[in-house]
Amino acid sequence: MRLQLGYIPLCDAAPLIAAHEFGFARSEGLDLDLSAEPSWATLRDRLALGHLDGAHMLAPLALASRLALSGPPSDLVVPLQLSANGNAITVSRGLWAAMEPESEALADVARAFARVATERRDAGRPLTLGTVHPFSCHSYQLRLFAEAGGLDSTAFRTVVVPPQHSVEALARGLVDGYCAGAPWNDVAVAAGHGRIAAFGCDLAPDAPEKVLALSARLDGTTLPLIRAVARAGQWCSDPANRADLIHRLAHRNYLNLDAELIGRAFAGDAILDSGGATRPVPGHLDLGASVQTPRPEAARWLMAQMRASRQIARDDRLETEAAAIYRPDLYQAALAL
Amino acid sequence: MTESNLTVAVIDPSRARAAILEEGLRAAGIGRIVVIPDTADLLERITALKPDVVVIHLESPSRDILEQMSGVSRQVERPVAMFVDRSDTTMMQAAVDAGISAYVVDGLRAERIKSILDIAILRFNAFARLQRELSEARGELADRKLIERAKGILMNLKGLTEDEAYKQLRRKAMNEKRKIADIARAIVTTADLLG
Repeated sequence: MRLQLGYIPLCDAAPLIAAHEFGFARSEGLDLDLSAEPSWATLRDRLALGHLDGAHMLAPLALASRLALSGPPSDLVVPLQLSANGNAITVSRGLWAAMEPESEALADVARAFARVATERRDAGRPLTLGTVHPFSCHSYQLRLFAEAGGLDSTAFRTVVVPPQHSVEALARGLVDGYCAGAPWNDVAVAAGHGRIAAFGCDLAPDAPEKVLALSARLDGTTLPLIRAVARAGQWCSDPANRADLIHRLAHRNYLNLDAELIGRAFAGDAILDSGGATRPVPGHLDLGASVQTPRPEAARWLMAQMRASRQIARDDRLETEAAAIYRPDLYQAALAL
Repeated sequence: MTESNLTVAVIDPSRARAAILEEGLRAAGIGRIVVIPDTADLLERITALKPDVVVIHLESPSRDILEQMSGVSRQVERPVAMFVDRSDTTMMQAAVDAGISAYVVDGLRAERIKSILDIAILRFNAFARLQRELSEARGELADRKLIERAKGILMNLKGLTEDEAYKQLRRKAMNEKRKIADIARAIVTTADLLG
């Protein structure tokens, strides 16, 4: 059985890519056609309109699509969480120099950021920060970063910058920083344009980052596909398979980037600037079994974030509907067979 | 159709395709059509232009930027919304099949955007057809050149006439159930390697 799956070229698409490349799909009798989509909006539309059977998707966008908050009507369900964490906030070298935080601790960095952001707003030149889509954990992590420094997130401009453009936007001064997933922070650091200021896992530990979103039309292939992707994700999280995985992700067909840069996302220590400063980031990018169950509480947390970012109003009916999109029963059924 | 008061922005990674759409919209009497390159400063350019409709190719990574300009944002004075006419899924399918998405300024009537979308769908489909024909034509030309070279090699090597060389190629292709061009490619490659 042939299935069309969409993904955005990012390290956390690894379980889908591994399911195809390392035989997990084949052993379920599935043949996966993976297509790299140019934007989250296009991926969302192609899934909603039935061009795709399933996709690697921003967890908040999957909910927003199903709840008709974003794009055409969709019937998707979420039977598996692909990843937790993996995002970071990178700032330009100029902004980092102006911030001069007392230490690497989140509280100090966020306070230093708040100070500069306030100065710039008062001077009539507010800072501009990039996110990847309005309905993304990246948007919420930027807001949490501001709040950690005692700042209202309206003190700076937030703009959407596609990850492919993020390093260029930073280099050209179109943004002062951005929140993006791996490997895009490492790319900016390696190119000498930016400095990693904070990690998503510092701001919201174990935030539900990407999910597997499946069309409800799939029927008989639903459980085998969940099983293939779940086993592939568990394989990806095993350090013994790391070298094979990184090598495959780096390939021209997928991320088309230097393997060393992709490897940074999976390392325990993160490289923060072009001078080679490092710090341990234990919770960075988690793809393993412990994150895979799609917990309805995660859906509720995402809805609370949407509310806090003023994307939706308080609506109990919407929250109940959101929790029902997450289907731990499908995940359990798939792995029980 | 009198749409001379509308501004339409076209965003497409392919310049040629954008030009074809621009010409179509102009012929339909749209007042102002601006082709915006798909670069990192797109948001600034759109904000400055204040278009009524943005037609964007699905291949463009910048689609996510337009999503931000929708109603949820406080920063845009004229919010845009993705044009989704829920009563017309055929239209939506046709647009996505052709590779198009359109964003409209709030308040623009559905029938006005529909005529623009119709033109975009026709033009983009025509462009895709042209490209297909062009690549087929290129392929045929390349095949003919290969066959000419293979004939020349056979003529030299075996002292055949042109007609005899072609007949040998054709017979080999028929026996092996392959295309003449494939046999010709094998001969040319071998000759290159050995020569």
